[in-house]
Amino acid sequence: MSSVLQLKNVHKAFAGVPALAGIDASLANDTYVSLLGPSGSGKTTLLRVIAGFEQPDSGEILFSGRRIDGVPPHERGIGFVFQNFALFPHLSVAENIAFGLTNRAVDPVTDAKVVAGRVRDIIGLVGLSGLEDRATTQISGGQKQRVALARTLVTEPSMVLLDEPLGALDANLRMRMRGELRTIRERCGVTFLHVTGSETEALAMGDTVLVLDAGRIAQSTDADTLYSRPASADVARFLNCYNIFPGAVSGDAFASPVGALALGGVKQTSGNPAYAIRYDRVAIRPTDAATADDEVRIEASFVASEYSGAAINSFFTLDDGRVFEVETHLSHAAPATYEEKGRYALVWKREDALVFV
Amino acid sequence: MNASGIKFGLGVYTALFIVFLYGPLVVLAILSFQTGPEGGPQFPIIEWSTYWYKHLFGLTPPSRIAPLPIDQALFRSLALAVMTMIVSTVLGVTAAQAFRKKFRGSGVIFYLIVLGMMVPGVLVGLGMALVANTLGIDRHWWGTAFVLHVVYTFPFAFLVMLAIFNRFDPSVEEAAWSLGVPPARTFRKITFPLIFPGVLSAMLFAFTLSYDEFSRTLFASGRDLTLPLAIYGTFSVEVHPNVFAFGVLTTLFSFALLGTYAVLMGLSVRRAKRMAIQEEA
Repeated sequence: MSSVLQLKNVHKAFAGVPALAGIDASLANDTYVSLLGPSGSGKTTLLRVIAGFEQPDSGEILFSGRRIDGVPPHERGIGFVFQNFALFPHLSVAENIAFGLTNRAVDPVTDAKVVAGRVRDIIGLVGLSGLEDRATTQISGGQKQRVALARTLVTEPSMVLLDEPLGALDANLRMRMRGELRTIRERCGVTFLHVTGSETEALAMGDTVLVLDAGRIAQSTDADTLYSRPASADVARFLNCYNIFPGAVSGDAFASPVGALALGGVKQTSGNPAYAIRYDRVAIRPTDAATADDEVRIEASFVASEYSGAAINSFFTLDDGRVFEVETHLSHAAPATYEEKGRYALVWKREDALVFV
Repeated sequence: MNASGIKFGLGVYTALFIVFLYGPLVVLAILSFQTGPEGGPQFPIIEWSTYWYKHLFGLTPPSRIAPLPIDQALFRSLALAVMTMIVSTVLGVTAAQAFRKKFRGSGVIFYLIVLGMMVPGVLVGLGMALVANTLGIDRHWWGTAFVLHVVYTFPFAFLVMLAIFNRFDPSVEEAAWSLGVPPARTFRKITFPLIFPGVLSAMLFAFTLSYDEFSRTLFASGRDLTLPLAIYGTFSVEVHPNVFAFGVLTTLFSFALLGTYAVLMGLSVRRAKRMAIQEEA
């Protein structure tokens, strides 16, 4: 697959504080890319640099093989969907959607019939039929989202940037729009770059997930690989599904604050040594239960558990005060009850742990 | 002090405020209906009449009281106010647009612009007269006085627009750019319609400030007088109620202007309302 956007060593600082510290990335044509990063990681800055609202301090941006850093936003042909939608408040829904078609500098559509036809098609595509003449103040959040998307898609950009597009919607609508965004993108065949701070959203939406950390791309891979093989302890931390221990490898064990943890799984080089075990790979047993040879065992006191429908998350305190989380899927068994402040053995298979060296 | 006491106190304060605000105007309006030509500008009203209104328009038999020399002056003042309004508003909008981004020296330039409304008018007027004399420029209401009116009203228009842009969401402009619409067209089609209520306010400010400007115009306007100067000129001889009659008419004119402003303002809000009604139907 050919790449539509390439970023080469892009830097950007605000008043001396770096927001982007050497971004290298390549986005494939006709894919859904999600960009995951905690707040302050520079994800909105990256989007604004690609759109041309901000100029990078250094580095190259290539769009369809053409260098676009320095090109003004209206000559880039990259769509942008804002978190607050940024609809034109003085125009109706249909006028909002037609605005780019009739007013753009390159190849404006002047025939009113053609415009009306294109607007009608896109309104059908995003599911806004019947709302054409409404004012933008007279439609719901989800409908505004669709107008913002339709307004961009009707101009047929080769790529659309979406800045936390679901952030302003309520949880229910957010779930529904996830599926719709993917469907709409597939029908249009353009690349979507979707910025989000939510790991579940990033994993659910992206064919490719980019993880941004401290102004750098920390990992770029598909959702499954990202979830099961994060490239570093920091990425594992954003995913919010790993217990992480600092420490160092010594001999055939990992020396952590809670003792030596036997090695057996994959070792990855990341520069920052750590030991990570996924919440749902850990079993909770009584302290006197037997441990198999390929298992790692630590002891901890139970604190509380949180029920979330399909799973239950139990929280334990380790001997050094660290919190350890275990996720138990309830499809396997009815929820066990644990005694508060009681001692339990937490056990996992050696090969399930990720070791960063 | 209890709550009703505070309410009562505030009520009295408001009433006094309104009396002082409109009292002079009401007195003026009443006295303009004094009989003429023998009635003077004081109470009591000898007899109610519209003599002085007719006198203004030259509809009364000739008497010892000369008609107000205002027809030329009125035209000059209106023309000057319109010219000032247009230039100051254009300058105010463009300058405020420039100030949306910090640029080198923006702080200094801000104070230089605002200085135009701070400095005493008489001094500026006198200074302009001296400069014009030194450089051999003739003083005219449409020249030297016009420049001073712009210098005076531009800061007001600028500050109004600065406040408007302060609350303006720049993402709608960025959205238009990302749709391929160039910045100039974006300004015309998106930015301007959204800031239009502010532009109207800036225009109103510039017009009214210029229309009754006195101190700057006094030295800078040369031989041909503007309306405030012409009226002041008649005071030096003797004050007759015809000035009051004229005052009432210009006040009505100002109200008409405010009315126009309100209608235009309402039109920009009406659109959204119409949509709301459609929605409910």
